Amino acid sequence: MIEIKKVGKHYGHFQVLSDCTTAVAQGEVVVVCGPSGSGKSTLIKCVNGLEPFQSGDIVVDGTSLAAPGIDLPRLRARVGMVFQHFELFPHMSIMENLSIAQRKVLGRSADEARERGLKLLDRVGLRTQAEKYPGQLSGGQQQRVAIARALAMDPICMLFDEPTSALDPEMINEVLDVMVELARDGMTMMCVTHEMGFARRVAHRVIFMDQGRIVEDAAKEDFFGTPRSERAQLFLSKILRH
Amino acid sequence: MYEFDWSSIPGALPLLGKGLLVTLEVTLTAIVVGIVWGTLLAVARLGANPLLAGLAAGYVNLFRSVPLVMVILWFYLIVPQLLKAVFGEGIADIRLTSALVAFALFEAAYYSEIIRAGIQSVPRGQVAAGLALGFTPAQTMRLIVLPQAFRNMVPLLLTQAIILFQDTSLVYVIGLSDFFGTAYKVGDRDGRLVELLLFAGAVYFAICFAASQVVRRLQSRGVQ
Repeated sequence: MIEIKKVGKHYGHFQVLSDCTTAVAQGEVVVVCGPSGSGKSTLIKCVNGLEPFQSGDIVVDGTSLAAPGIDLPRLRARVGMVFQHFELFPHMSIMENLSIAQRKVLGRSADEARERGLKLLDRVGLRTQAEKYPGQLSGGQQQRVAIARALAMDPICMLFDEPTSALDPEMINEVLDVMVELARDGMTMMCVTHEMGFARRVAHRVIFMDQGRIVEDAAKEDFFGTPRSERAQLFLSKILRH
Repeated sequence: MYEFDWSSIPGALPLLGKGLLVTLEVTLTAIVVGIVWGTLLAVARLGANPLLAGLAAGYVNLFRSVPLVMVILWFYLIVPQLLKAVFGEGIADIRLTSALVAFALFEAAYYSEIIRAGIQSVPRGQVAAGLALGFTPAQTMRLIVLPQAFRNMVPLLLTQAIILFQDTSLVYVIGLSDFFGTAYKVGDRDGRLVELLLFAGAVYFAICFAASQVVRRLQSRGVQ
């Protein structure tokens, strides 16, 4: 589904990503972790072309991002993305947030978009909030709406960029629950997150990044059992100490 | 002691009213065209095309670096032929048309700077979210960024409109009878210049003060 091949990216002389290679198969859930500044968010943003890269290639469902003349909007419409700070559109109601891209990008009718939107709001448990504005919802609720907004486009895979790191602790679980359910439904997912509990529950593979490189790319059991790299061991011991 | 005599004002009210309409026409045209053209300039300036960005920057810097009075005179004295070519020979009075064009083009430069700041005030994550949903960059600008930018900018745009309303009095240099020009002419005609100018000043004050109160209320609402 997603193939990342020898991707490199630099700002001037600063190398953000070097020689990153991995793949996410259909239905697979891959968690990307690593210390801050390790390039994990940059890597995931390269997958839908929000961040350009200078070398290598990323192929999403047969579409190469490095190919000249690639239709980025078309690709992005098929790849759902959830951001750290939710990024709901504050000038639109929750229902408009869910329906605008369905109408303007996918060409669905207003009724169709509304129906699909309500169905997804139901799924994330927020049907009653449809006419409210993002500012009236809690952070956890906003992030659930953001997930529903991405799902409304019927994406072939979902990218999560630290979806819980801007949330108050008591709201993290309501978002993770939605993500767990999504994973169990067979959605292809690539998640940048520090939530190791989530990784243990649903991830198939864990990728550990450090200084722009993929240091470890292992099945979940191997990663948590016996991480090979010293950096990953150190990271895990820090993050799991408490 | 100067004896005030306000008696010439009631009879001149219809004329003054016509003058006020001219003032409002110039103001509203400059606001509407200025915001539309200013938005295009701001988008061009922030856009990826370096040629368009350079042209827009040149335009804005040019108009912001020359006095408004001169722009009004340019358009009246230097470009009436061009205006005739564009709008046809049938224009009865070139003064109003040239004033409308001059103000619209001049104000666009100022509006574009306000709008540019407004666009930049929208968090970059909003752009990323728009693009990630499959919107083109143009759709993201139109549907996501500009509506938020304008909402943030309303007080500044209105303040600029109030300044513009006052600045329209400068059309007296081309003899156009706006509100100020009409008041001046009536006062001159009746030998009651002081009264007419005091009256005109009071009207400008009343309108601008009322408008600025509206802006203040909008601003305090925006803070909440």
